[in-house]
Amino acid sequence: MNRLSIAALAFSLVVSGTAKADSVIVLNSDEASYSILSRSTRTEVARLPVGREPHHLIVSPDGKEVIIGSTATNELLSLDINTGERKRVVKDILDPYHLGFSPDGKWLVTAAYRLDHVDIYHSDGFRLAGRIFIDGLPSHIAFDAESKTVFVTLQQSGRLAAFDLATQALKWNMPIGNAPAGVVMLPDDKRLLVALTGEDRIAVVDPKDGSVKSSLQTGKGAHNFFPKGDGRHYFLSNRVEGTVSLIDTKDDPKVVGSVRIPGGPDCMDITPDGKELWVTQRFLRRVAIVDIDTLKVVAGIPVGKSPHGVFMMKSTATVTSGLPVRAASTAGSPR
Amino acid sequence: MRDLIDIWVGVQAGLFETLVSPVLYHFGLMAWYEPGYSAVEFVMLGVVQIAVIAIAMRFFERRWPLEKAGKDDKLVTVDRVYTMLNKLGVVPLAIFIITYPLVQEIELAVRTWGYMPPRLERMLPWLGDNALASFLVYFVLYDFAAYWLHRGQHAFGWWWALHSLHHSQRRMTVWTDDRNHVIDDLIVTLALVLFSQFVGVQPGEYVVILMVGRLVESWSHANVDMSFGWLGERLLVGPRFHRLHHALSTPAERHIQDHNFAPVFPIWDILFGTAIYDGKIRPTGVDNAAVDADNGRGWIVQQATVFGRFVRALMPRFRRRVSVP
Ligand SMILES: [Zn+2]
Repeated sequence: MNRLSIAALAFSLVVSGTAKADSVIVLNSDEASYSILSRSTRTEVARLPVGREPHHLIVSPDGKEVIIGSTATNELLSLDINTGERKRVVKDILDPYHLGFSPDGKWLVTAAYRLDHVDIYHSDGFRLAGRIFIDGLPSHIAFDAESKTVFVTLQQSGRLAAFDLATQALKWNMPIGNAPAGVVMLPDDKRLLVALTGEDRIAVVDPKDGSVKSSLQTGKGAHNFFPKGDGRHYFLSNRVEGTVSLIDTKDDPKVVGSVRIPGGPDCMDITPDGKELWVTQRFLRRVAIVDIDTLKVVAGIPVGKSPHGVFMMKSTATVTSGLPVRAASTAGSPR
Repeated sequence: MRDLIDIWVGVQAGLFETLVSPVLYHFGLMAWYEPGYSAVEFVMLGVVQIAVIAIAMRFFERRWPLEKAGKDDKLVTVDRVYTMLNKLGVVPLAIFIITYPLVQEIELAVRTWGYMPPRLERMLPWLGDNALASFLVYFVLYDFAAYWLHRGQHAFGWWWALHSLHHSQRRMTVWTDDRNHVIDDLIVTLALVLFSQFVGVQPGEYVVILMVGRLVESWSHANVDMSFGWLGERLLVGPRFHRLHHALSTPAERHIQDHNFAPVFPIWDILFGTAIYDGKIRPTGVDNAAVDADNGRGWIVQQATVFGRFVRALMPRFRRRVSVP
């Protein structure tokens, strides 16, 4: 790196440190890094190394940390939710592909997608309570409101399984449809929505016994959900079709809107003001920004290879947690 | 640079969404969605490699050929076939389909036993913070494994039966690198993939290592007498260095081919005492009539006859029965 680009880099760091808007984290799953994006300038501020093959990220129960699952290194890595500073590494969490804390914060459940097991940990100290080997690529997880049950989609076997958290016993394991991925519990705690990536629809499932109550046609490759925040509407990415559907879940779920997002749209997050939906475009190495009122793509930001998880920080990350080795686009990125 | 990336992934996504994705979706193969996308990139990289070989590397061969045009020119044709089949993904796809479940099984078994592969970042935490250093370390390690595999190809009779196909070419050119028996490709790929998983090479890095590594190897087979200079040829394998590894053995130099094994970084030959830098130009090939008979045969016949050679080497009793008619 020459002196000029170091200067440019330092300048961009100062600028980013004082920028007013908040930061966004995107996990570049194929290149062991995460991007820090600026909401106000809609640019990549920095690209920092993180574990290997990071896919999803969640907020810790105390709301102070963002926890990134680094699948190939069997680790969780956490960042300060306000500053973006690296806090800690939790080792020996096997293949944490998808992960989530129960609503009461007592349990952490991870789906080891490639290794075919579901792990239930006590959040306190990340002690393993039970490891359940189950066939068929466990992919996404959801909880009931009481924090008694965890639901796991099994992508290969086309099933949804429910486990009792306290005993780690299997409650039921039911066929749902082709390649189920994203799963959410609706606020009524009586309906689970399951996205069927091998089909063009989602299934509405009874959490009591796993029976499919109804289904709703959305788009090919229905994959993952994100709540709009009003307790009623959900966004759904359709990976094969390259769209995001807006679903109204009051009464029988129905599609009330759709926006074209090419390049295998996957994970989503919404800006704190509720105005923009940010969607990772896995294949295009970009993040698309959608205006929620008009359901139109208003901007896009280039990021790293195979961007997967996306997360809105509470405030602006200070990029001091390590040298940004593959630096900001504003500082003459070597890529 | 970003414009180039956008064009690249635009083409990749376009090809994937029109040709591959509908097939995977139709046949319920969504678990192969991401690997399928990577496969498209693999083929695209193959096209780029072929272009670099056909345009840039061939320029040097045409301008400064070491062995002048002659009757052996037609022997090169089959090597072009090997290059196309490998770089355009036909052979790699077959190998991937065979090795992928095996690799998964092995990794699953290893982890089920409670054994955690030692990832490099745990031993050298600073590596995780420097992408370029990390990439180079993984590249060098990968090459280290490839060096020892290559020594294995020369050390075991059954393996040499396969690898001798690569060496039988008397007319070495930029197309020779991919001239290997598919079983040999399979063994080497399986070993290198397992090794890469074991030390933790990242998929994104693996692609670049393959791309850069294979280009260096194609160039090292070029029909030119060139090197990267005194220091350069000790840092990177070039045609002069690698041609010695393909040299035809003579009574005076019986074991000349047991030198200069390194695929990309000569450091391994220097470290393990197998490097020779004498600048001499020697004819290439294998001093064995049965192996030399590979020349002039097409792809299918080569694959079939070398398979026979492999079986006979594996099973000596079978060899006796066959060789005494
Ligand atoms: Zn050899």
